[in-house]
Amino acid sequence: MFGLLATPAGFLHFRKSKLGLAPFVCILGLAIALVSTIWLGFTSPSPVSFGGFQVDLFTLFFSGVLLIVAIFVTIASLQYMREDPNKGPFFGLLLLSTLGMIVLAASMDLILLYVGWELMSIPTYALTAFRKKDPNSNEAAMKFFVLSALSSALIVYAISLIFGVTGSTGLTAIASTLSTAGPDVRPFGVLAIVLFIVGFGVKMAVVPFHMWIPDAFEGAPVTIGAFLAAGAKMAAFAAAFRVFIVGISAFNVDFYSTFAIVAVVTMSVGNVAALMQKSFTRLLAYSSIAQAGYILMALATPFTTTNVPLGLAGGLFHVLNYAILKTAAFVAAAAVATKLSVTDLNSFNGLSRRMPQTSLSIAVIFLGLAGVPPLNGFFSKVMLFTGSIYSPYSWGGYLALAALINSGFSMSYYGWVIKRMYFDEPGDESSIPEPRIYMAVLWVATILIFAIGLYPDPWIRLVQSAAAALVGSRGL
Amino acid sequence: MIGLLSIAIFLPAVLAAPTFLLGRKNPKMAKILGVGTTAIVFAISILILVVFQYGQAGFQLSESLPWAGSFGLNYKVGIDGISLPLLMIATFLSLLSAAGSWDQITFRHAEYYALFLIFETGIIGVFTSLNLILFYLFWEIVLIPMFFFIGIWGGPRRKYASLKFLIFTYSGSAVMLFGFLALYAWTGTSAYPGGPSFDYDVLAARIPNLALPLQLAVAITTFAGFAVKLPIFPLHTWLPDAHVEAPAPVSVLLAGLLLKMGGYGLIRYNLLLFPKAVSVLWPYFTTIGLITMIYGASVALVARDIKRMIALTSVNHMGYVLLGAFTATVAGVSGAVFQMFSHGLAVGMLFLMSGYIHERTGTRNIDELKGLRGKMPQTVSLLFLASMAAMAVPGFANFISEYLVIQGALSVSYLFAIAIVAPALTVGYFLWMLRRVAMTPPEGPKNELHLHSILILVAFLVPLLIFGVYPPPILGSVIAPTVEKWVGTIVGLGAR
Repeated sequence: MFGLLATPAGFLHFRKSKLGLAPFVCILGLAIALVSTIWLGFTSPSPVSFGGFQVDLFTLFFSGVLLIVAIFVTIASLQYMREDPNKGPFFGLLLLSTLGMIVLAASMDLILLYVGWELMSIPTYALTAFRKKDPNSNEAAMKFFVLSALSSALIVYAISLIFGVTGSTGLTAIASTLSTAGPDVRPFGVLAIVLFIVGFGVKMAVVPFHMWIPDAFEGAPVTIGAFLAAGAKMAAFAAAFRVFIVGISAFNVDFYSTFAIVAVVTMSVGNVAALMQKSFTRLLAYSSIAQAGYILMALATPFTTTNVPLGLAGGLFHVLNYAILKTAAFVAAAAVATKLSVTDLNSFNGLSRRMPQTSLSIAVIFLGLAGVPPLNGFFSKVMLFTGSIYSPYSWGGYLALAALINSGFSMSYYGWVIKRMYFDEPGDESSIPEPRIYMAVLWVATILIFAIGLYPDPWIRLVQSAAAALVGSRGL
Repeated sequence: MIGLLSIAIFLPAVLAAPTFLLGRKNPKMAKILGVGTTAIVFAISILILVVFQYGQAGFQLSESLPWAGSFGLNYKVGIDGISLPLLMIATFLSLLSAAGSWDQITFRHAEYYALFLIFETGIIGVFTSLNLILFYLFWEIVLIPMFFFIGIWGGPRRKYASLKFLIFTYSGSAVMLFGFLALYAWTGTSAYPGGPSFDYDVLAARIPNLALPLQLAVAITTFAGFAVKLPIFPLHTWLPDAHVEAPAPVSVLLAGLLLKMGGYGLIRYNLLLFPKAVSVLWPYFTTIGLITMIYGASVALVARDIKRMIALTSVNHMGYVLLGAFTATVAGVSGAVFQMFSHGLAVGMLFLMSGYIHERTGTRNIDELKGLRGKMPQTVSLLFLASMAAMAVPGFANFISEYLVIQGALSVSYLFAIAIVAPALTVGYFLWMLRRVAMTPPEGPKNELHLHSILILVAFLVPLLIFGVYPPPILGSVIAPTVEKWVGTIVGLGAR
């Protein structure tokens, strides 16, 4: 079991060794970790816990998603960081952060969760500021660091409050204490919940804690944008799922309505703001904010109403699909960035004639993000929205309707970019080389997008088992 | 077991890849593969006609496979008397439109024909699928090629028109999807044994027990999606832009098939699934249909562009479908189905002809087309015939369908007598157009179409005339049994 967590860590000491080797060792380590994750998922489906760790299908699901993201990012960075003299630390930090994310997904104890949180966050500050001479990169990192540090502080405060109320940091112990909590501790519990929502919310980039996202994505190296958008953000969702569903759901507080409101505001702000962007990376940033709104619907759906928690399973499915789509979108942006400005949408005019493969995959990715069948984003959205209609709250149907209208609206900016790539005239007709490494990642992602969309059955069963494992880990 | 329907659905999509890959080097290859595939699919649909059991009301040639069983999704297709006429015009118009593209599409052939085949898969899937999510999947597959058709091969305002089309119809479908998901959730509770399902037959059995407010919610949201496609009066503004900017063969697909998706959806998923909701909503929906009919005709009266006029004819004629369907009478619904069939052919012919005329004369302005008789005498004769079909002159299938719709409407309420204004206006704008284009003194040197183009145009007329003179083969033995059964069922459940 430790093998899963130790594999990426074990290769860390290579980071200072021969520079040319570091990225390949990094990929190898991640691949071994991914294989062992999949192997564990097939061989030992029953949950195993040791200390504050719990390795169950939920953990394995998230570590699988995060490792796929990390592998994509590493392979793409191979090309992207080719000219950079400090490759070694770059890949080392990437591994360290990935390890933190997996710890986060596996932790059943708030202290361990916090350790994972910091282990994930601190390397990403450095990675965001990796272009030391670029003021944008530094500004982005600074903004990101300040907000992120604030969120860490809020989480620590929330943990201390929860510890004060329940006398424990283990999530199952917290759950059993909270279920019988008297009215005298109620205010502290509510305060802790609010602090958790804000703390996780900064990393999950929900409105109104989303302001750092567009700047960070624009300033950071493009592949690190993918890592932040698909990796760090999804890991924050993993933590939120664990804390809220295992620890806090036993507490008789209606946090579902809060999440519903936050979800609607987040997706609406994300979609409307995305329409107004003139920079491709900022557009991706706002679209990722909107997608976070959809995933939040999983937390807004009480999971005890049906045998299989449909909304929760849909949320996890969307985590998987979103991670693939968003990583691929950033890799495509990195491919474009080799010759053109990704901060100006005008450079995408007529791109289909200059970079046909990249344009095709951007079109597929964007249609997937908009939720067009038979691409993968469609089925996870369908599950999320149906789960919300199942909700015992009377607003469940309205939440789903709001999300669907948002989803329809989002087509306007996705379609806008496709229009630019395919219908507009390029300013310059010359074709642009499409580096093979990027294309390999993009084709693998595109095939995954279609494969999951055309035959979603095994994936739906996987996320349903993962959701069941999460609910099961409450131990009630 | 893979049946005829699955072959008809997936053959075009499978052949889209070789069409694209082989056609990139050799445009002629793309044309041959594209037109050839649509011809094969049409042959398969003829085979379906042969094995179809006439006079039966239920679903035939059904196929069912588990697809994502963990979420109630099945691959389920089948046809009945409502879908068969639409399936036939889908394959027939695809073939004629692909053939018409041979001359009218002049660049990027490989992409065009590959997208064309994907479109055909989508449109056949829409008319045959019997699972709500499968239906939605095909519904959206139609959308994407159409967006590219308009955006890449369209006229001067193609970018605006394509984006408008995409946003209108995608937003409509998103609202429609809400209805489908709500249906799944609300009929998936423990009160309904067997677990939640998206299957059409399962839902048709469960929905009558659904409470009226829930039926209304689903009926209104799904109506929104279908109404944008149909289109109805306030939501129609994407249509003139899209139809005018699209290349003529694509306008054939748009007006002939894409609009029929809305009409088919209205009948199959709106009228037949929600009897209680229909009993409340029918006055509103029929009134919207009536307004759409008259509005479309009035606006067509002032159109200067012949293509725009034809596009607005579609708004005019699709109003009949809405009116006829929600009278919930056998005559009205049969008329609505038959109207989709005959309008698809008539308007398809008109659009393709407008494309040919534009290609030869360089203009689509009705006033500038004066004296066309001198340049293209045979085409003008065909224009007369096509206009007569669209005007619903007796002898053409359109007459029978429009007659049935108005008969159905009058049997419900004498107030629908006002509907007669619409055909009168239709005759008005068509005759005025013919007066300016065809009845003016002949001008200019002769510049007639090729024989193969003339033959393509004549092919549209053949079924219109056959079924206009003798409708029983389609009306009596295909449409009527199914409509009688379904209308009987929903009237029994309180739709009327």
